[in-house]
Amino acid sequence: MAAVAQLTLEDLRPGLGWRKQLDKLFVIVGLLVMIACLAILAILFLDLVRDGASRFGWDFFTSFPSRKAERAGILSAAVGTTMIMFVTALVALPVGVAAAIYLEEYAPKNWFTGIIEINVTNLAGVPSIVYGLLALGLFVYQFGLGQSVLSAGLTLALLILPIVIVATREALRSVPKAIREAAYGLGATRWEVTRDHVLPYSTGGILTGLILGLSRAIGETAPIITIGALSFIAFLPPSPVSGEFPFLNFEWLRSEFTAMPIQMFNWVSRPDQAFQANAAAAGAILLGMTLLMNALAIWIRYRFRKRINW
Amino acid sequence: MQGEQTSPSAGPPSVSITVEDRKAVRANAPKARAEALNFWYGSNQALKGINLSIPEHQVTALIGPSGCGKSTFLRCFNRMHDLQPDTRYQGSIMLRPDDINLVGAGVDPIEVRMRIGMVFQKPNPFPKTVFENVAYGLRLRGVRNRTDLAERVEGALRAAAIWDEVKDRLSDSALALSGGQMQRLCIARALATQPEILLFDEPTSALDPIATAKIEELISELRQHVTILIVTHNMQQAARVSDFTAFMYLGELVEVGATSMIFTNPGKKATEDYITGRYG
Amino acid sequence: MQTLEQPPSATPKPDADTGAVSGPGPAGDPAEGHISKTVDQSLVDLRLRAVAMGGLVIDQVASCVRALVEHDAKLAALVLSRETLVNAYDGQLDRDTLTFIALQQPVASDLRMVRAIARAGLELERIGDESKKIARFASRAAAQGGHDPVVAVSRYLRHMGELSVTMLRSAVRALDEADAGLARQVLARDRELDAEFATALRQLMSFVMQDHQFLKATLDTVFALKGLERMGDHAKNVAEQVLYMVGDDAESGRG
Repeated sequence: MAAVAQLTLEDLRPGLGWRKQLDKLFVIVGLLVMIACLAILAILFLDLVRDGASRFGWDFFTSFPSRKAERAGILSAAVGTTMIMFVTALVALPVGVAAAIYLEEYAPKNWFTGIIEINVTNLAGVPSIVYGLLALGLFVYQFGLGQSVLSAGLTLALLILPIVIVATREALRSVPKAIREAAYGLGATRWEVTRDHVLPYSTGGILTGLILGLSRAIGETAPIITIGALSFIAFLPPSPVSGEFPFLNFEWLRSEFTAMPIQMFNWVSRPDQAFQANAAAAGAILLGMTLLMNALAIWIRYRFRKRINW
Repeated sequence: MQGEQTSPSAGPPSVSITVEDRKAVRANAPKARAEALNFWYGSNQALKGINLSIPEHQVTALIGPSGCGKSTFLRCFNRMHDLQPDTRYQGSIMLRPDDINLVGAGVDPIEVRMRIGMVFQKPNPFPKTVFENVAYGLRLRGVRNRTDLAERVEGALRAAAIWDEVKDRLSDSALALSGGQMQRLCIARALATQPEILLFDEPTSALDPIATAKIEELISELRQHVTILIVTHNMQQAARVSDFTAFMYLGELVEVGATSMIFTNPGKKATEDYITGRYG
Repeated sequence: MQTLEQPPSATPKPDADTGAVSGPGPAGDPAEGHISKTVDQSLVDLRLRAVAMGGLVIDQVASCVRALVEHDAKLAALVLSRETLVNAYDGQLDRDTLTFIALQQPVASDLRMVRAIARAGLELERIGDESKKIARFASRAAAQGGHDPVVAVSRYLRHMGELSVTMLRSAVRALDEADAGLARQVLARDRELDAEFATALRQLMSFVMQDHQFLKATLDTVFALKGLERMGDHAKNVAEQVLYMVGDDAESGRG
């Protein structure tokens, strides 16, 4: 073997120059790609806003859909979407978190739980219309819940369940083993460890997962069409709160409903050009809501991360 | 007296036992005794036939090269291995005076952990306030009264020689403390529940020399209240801090004796080789 | 290290260059075998130094006795001049053992070895002092042209000198080789030396009773005899350190 020559700085310099260039090149490419993506999003958004600009206004939010484009509004759709999201969150959160806790903390590590884990991740890839069909058969007919807000909420909860489970598991995993050991060492049971230490410190991650799930669900059209969301509703579901005893009622769950994506789809399919503006405006609003929810998720994550540094 | 019938169990024995005698007996009485203890991780036997007495109110140190099983042995005392799958104990660790087998199949690990405390290698306080950290063990045991909690938390923090440094910061996050303070907080947390044995798993290997010295001093003082078992990589620490030292190698107990004897004139060549740096 | 002048028929001393590292026993050299070669080297050096000092002191003892018995003033002067060298050895050994303890924190056998070496150095230094005193007496005796008391017990002086040298040589070799058996022999020999001293003293007393005029010289001779006896005691102490080092404390009576 030939003797290894001593490398001087002069020998290294040319190679160093090329390596630095490559480094800068990567930064530039990355920056360009990111700008491109953001630009596309911005163009999309601005396009919607521009097209729907004429329709923005208080009356757009407070009017029901109508045959006249100028008078059509998104009131029922917005309220419907809100109620559905509410039900979705209420169902997806406990079920998803409980499932994740079981899988992460309690389940023994054998082939059976392995299969369950794989399937949970697979569920995230199932086409949403399949969820719609499932819901139609199960919730609408079998359980007799009808074409209602409740059915829609349950369907979308099923849809986002894998997202919530996976996010929760990641959050649970990020709690260091040392904290659990310390709690066990003091004589805590597994539930006490989970309740007092693991869950509180995972809240940030769990909420983030939930909000990300909701921001996906808010735009899902196929499942809720399948279970029968109507596209022309000129009424609101009954108010949950009333002035007489009992102050809370659940009639609204069984009511028929519409949602934002449905409304948009309906307006876009109309031959009348004027409705395009409505659709654009509704789309912009929907996009805005999604962006807002994502921003909320990021903010929550930041706030929780600041509080706890391992 | 004549004619009077005395019941078989009447009165104390007439032999007088002095206070000094009692102290001497108690001083050497074992708090726990491992008998023919074997332990397996899956099919790998990590402990082989350990017989070791842990004297009460004394500090016993476990030394040995990496992989000799000292941490494994330590964690048998509070059943931490039960948290891993596929582990198996055989033999016993008898806890006096109740004569309970700590690793017995019928003994609840949660109960064991409520009587045996542990301090870990890297300080691991909960991301809660200083007060809540120490109070957690008490809350688990059902102590709810605020005055009770405050009293016992203060007692534990004093026993851990950290009260003066945190008495104005009880509501601050425990993570704001320095490394040495965090470890002393963890000691206070373990002491709050008045354990019968306190286990230390290389408690100062992550700390600087001054924090280490403070904790060694603390361990020395704590022995009057609680029996201590400490695993350490640092032989000089074992020499400074312990009354008895046990040398382990490849899962077996090679030698145990008074620390002063082990470090001046050990009985086994293997021990001698290890402590003089001839091992390997 | 200063090269030592060899007196014409000096008793051979252990060769400092080759005698040191031939370890006995199946376990190999007790000073070696550490993972750290620096520690090995330091311990071997310390022992080498102690053995070299022992060699020098053996020579001092043999020379001072010969100077006294043969009325050799030059030899006496040589012994006196080398006294500073003996002290220098002791000072160096003392410092080096302290440094080793501070830096290496030895335990068990290593600690015992270092302590044994330090204490042996002390004993050797004291033997050196005794030789110095005898050498001074030898100068005076030679200047005054021979002392009758010295002549009267010259046989005992010579014999005790030989005994002391033998004991010392064995003790130093026992230290070098960690030989407990040899150390025990030294302890046994001391009794012989004590008996010789008692006989010599009796001889002197009968001499004095016959002739009163040499009182001062007689006293000096007594001190010389006592000095030789003490040398034996010091050699015995060195042997005791060897036993302590090896871990066989029962005979030594000290920890």
